[in-house]
Amino acid sequence: MSPSRRRAIQTSLATGAAAVAGCDGLVSELGRQLGEAVPASLLAASGRTIDPDFHLLSRATYGPRPGDLARLRRQGPRAWLEDQLHPERIDDTACDLRAERFESLGFAPGDAYAFRRSVLRDELVRHALLRAIYSRRQLFELLVGFWSDHLNIDLGKGDCVFLKPADDREVIRRHALGRFAELIRASATSPAMLVYLDNAANKVRRGHADKPNENYARELLELHTLGVDGGYTQRDVTEAARCLTGWTFDAGRVFATDQNRAFFRADWHDDGEKLLLGHRIPAGGGPRDLDRLVEIVCSHPSTARHIAGKLCRRFVAADPPRALVESTAAVFTRTDGQIPAVLRNIFRSAEFADSRGLLLKRPLRFVVSALRAVAADTHARPPLLDALRRLGQPLFEHPTPDGYAQDEATWLGTLLWRWNLAFALAGGNLPTVTAPLEAIASSLAAASGDSGESQRAEGDKDHAFTRWFAHLIGRRPTRDEQTAFAPLLAAADQRREARQLGLILASPAFQRH
Amino acid sequence: MPSRLSRRLLLANDDAWPAGHDATLAVVFLRGGADTLSLLPPHGDDRYFRSRPTLAVPSPGRGSRSAIRLDDHYGLHPDMAALEPAYREGRLAFVQGVGINNTSGSHFECQDQMEQGSSPDGPAVSGGWLGRFLRTLSERELGPLPAVAIGKSLPESLRGGPSASVFETLADVSLRGSAADLPVITATLARLYAAERTNLGRQGLQTLDLFRRVATLQPADSSSRRAGNYPESPFAAGLRQIADLIRADIGLRVACLDLPGWDTHFFQGATDGQQAALIEQLAGGLAAFETDMKSCPRRATVLVITEFGRRVYENASQGTDHGRGFAAMLLGENVAGGEVHGPWPLEEIADPTPAGPGGLAVDRDARGLFAEVLGHVFAADRTAVDGVFPGLNPQPAGLFRGNSRSTS
Repeated sequence: MSPSRRRAIQTSLATGAAAVAGCDGLVSELGRQLGEAVPASLLAASGRTIDPDFHLLSRATYGPRPGDLARLRRQGPRAWLEDQLHPERIDDTACDLRAERFESLGFAPGDAYAFRRSVLRDELVRHALLRAIYSRRQLFELLVGFWSDHLNIDLGKGDCVFLKPADDREVIRRHALGRFAELIRASATSPAMLVYLDNAANKVRRGHADKPNENYARELLELHTLGVDGGYTQRDVTEAARCLTGWTFDAGRVFATDQNRAFFRADWHDDGEKLLLGHRIPAGGGPRDLDRLVEIVCSHPSTARHIAGKLCRRFVAADPPRALVESTAAVFTRTDGQIPAVLRNIFRSAEFADSRGLLLKRPLRFVVSALRAVAADTHARPPLLDALRRLGQPLFEHPTPDGYAQDEATWLGTLLWRWNLAFALAGGNLPTVTAPLEAIASSLAAASGDSGESQRAEGDKDHAFTRWFAHLIGRRPTRDEQTAFAPLLAAADQRREARQLGLILASPAFQRH
Repeated sequence: MPSRLSRRLLLANDDAWPAGHDATLAVVFLRGGADTLSLLPPHGDDRYFRSRPTLAVPSPGRGSRSAIRLDDHYGLHPDMAALEPAYREGRLAFVQGVGINNTSGSHFECQDQMEQGSSPDGPAVSGGWLGRFLRTLSERELGPLPAVAIGKSLPESLRGGPSASVFETLADVSLRGSAADLPVITATLARLYAAERTNLGRQGLQTLDLFRRVATLQPADSSSRRAGNYPESPFAAGLRQIADLIRADIGLRVACLDLPGWDTHFFQGATDGQQAALIEQLAGGLAAFETDMKSCPRRATVLVITEFGRRVYENASQGTDHGRGFAAMLLGENVAGGEVHGPWPLEEIADPTPAGPGGLAVDRDARGLFAEVLGHVFAADRTAVDGVFPGLNPQPAGLFRGNSRSTS
């Protein structure tokens, strides 16, 4: 029997058992069997500067897991990236076992009302967090996070919490690595977005003095496509709002028919001629006005620059080199907004290679990269969610349409909670989270390392410390860092390893990637 | 000394901190819709006694548990006695007829609207009013802990504000780890972050400074130092945490604390019972806080609000149902205290059992109250206040003494 067939049978038997038992422990055990376990020997990159392969992993995933570096080296970075850009090629059974256990997330908008708000919110967050930690389709999950910020929905507003699961499935996850214009088109008629930015109430009725509701139209231009300096005028916002009239969602569940999707009301639509960003949209377009609107704004040159700029700020540097933004925008335009092509341009660029260690980790990435680095076992129970909330990024709760901020200043105020999480994780004191720290330590010791790169710097007294540092940061410690850690290394007590690990996780180097 | 070093790093020039930097606002939210008619009974209006045969607080002078007379119209609930000196000495003010234009009577909706500082017919705002105010402050003006909520979750009013932290006790604001490890851990962190010449490094040092300051306030040895005599209650404990944080001089601007349990539909009690017990907690805690803060150079102002008041008439279960206007409280050195601001807003009740809400009218938009508080406590200028409450155009109402430092 082939290994894969054996594994398939094992999985189906076990899944059946897990479904019956519903037991976290069983799922964790299965995960280990399906490849989540720590390899017996762990390569750590220990050059003076961050290893380029480690750098690719730390930007194109939520952070390397034990074994990821070796796998990427074997495959080669180009082939690895291509796999990540085609997530359907990557088997994600282990993650699905952990993350696809939330009933409420499969429900259509109208039916999700059967669940309590708190249950839906909880399941949305746990699902997102578990996929971030465990999915092998890491770049896909990163883009899901990116677009969730870009097309922000605040669960606290109105009925959005009932509508977001469908938005997550049908809009964000369906189009995260697809074509930008299709993502925007799907978002425009997503019930969650129609409610969040009020387009569900955007109507111009014959015989009434209705003015269009410009909320979504404005954010579509300002945040989602052209960007605030994209060169549109107030008139363009109004014309866009006119295009959008009539698209609505039965949030009040007044009508029995079809409560599960947005629909177009011809009697609410302003069917006159429109002039948008220099394009004439003839009268009588009806629902097709929305398609024209999406086409026009998504193909505008400012949109290419805006999206390229945001992606470069997310994946390269806070102030990305202009040349990279422009070349990325050019790829966006040339490929008609194909996100994988845009990402390929970014990750293969010299500017990307030069940006090692320059980005501050936001709270989600800090938590997930720490959990991944120590191969933590968790089912995203309240203690972990509380920690994320303390750090200021509780997911799906950002109140403004611009989504969780990308800049540094917003996130620096919660360092104290990061440090406490670091020490709790390292000391085995984070409830509902366990990590095979000893297994990792011995696997690191077992590895022989790369030729030439594993030369230890002079003055390095504690090899275990250096190996952990390299495993977490992708390079060996600088002279300043060695000096800072020196008193610690002299200690001989039992808690020494936990202290060292906690401090590496709390250090400035681990706050960056 | 790390603290002076980090301060110097913060200041662009040698100016003193921006005006209002030495002030903290503590917002106490009475969850459930507090019956402020009981806190501040209007003994001068006979309709009060007619509408509340069993719940009215007895007129001043009628027995040992009667209202404390403030003037011809108002009294204080006997369990507010702890705050009587503050009122007489001009540090406690009531603001009558505060509320929001929301007739739903829904706790959820009204708390949200109050905390967001929004209005259904006004421009859309996002997050909470305190969060929006904190966003108007520059990074330079925000220390490592500008806003805290004592409790388990971040209140809506702080949402969207930078670096608002939630914790239950000061012990949370510390590095976890065994006592033996802490010195070497903090020393290592200090070296690591000092070596960084970046915002990250600066924040790291400030955070360590925060720990150091808070650590000097551990409860063990502070009971002798503490001036106020805090009663035993979670609410008073929360106020004590806030006082300790203010004394630690870490730049705390805003602190939020809830006192729940005011939704007294059944057997509310007049001078005894569940509501009286809450009133005693409220007054005892605030009085102790105020005494504690007398010895602190940093100014603290307390604002006490609720999502709505309750109806004038009592219901068949000897309780009260949801109303509208309420009397907010302001406590602080610069408050124009010793009076009840605003007219007596009792709605005429033609029918003793009306279908809809019938309580105190809302004469004063809560947002106007908040705007005035921000202007005086933080010397927030007109632009900042307009950013927090777009389109409001608030009129000053004389709730504070001294020159208004806000520009109009």
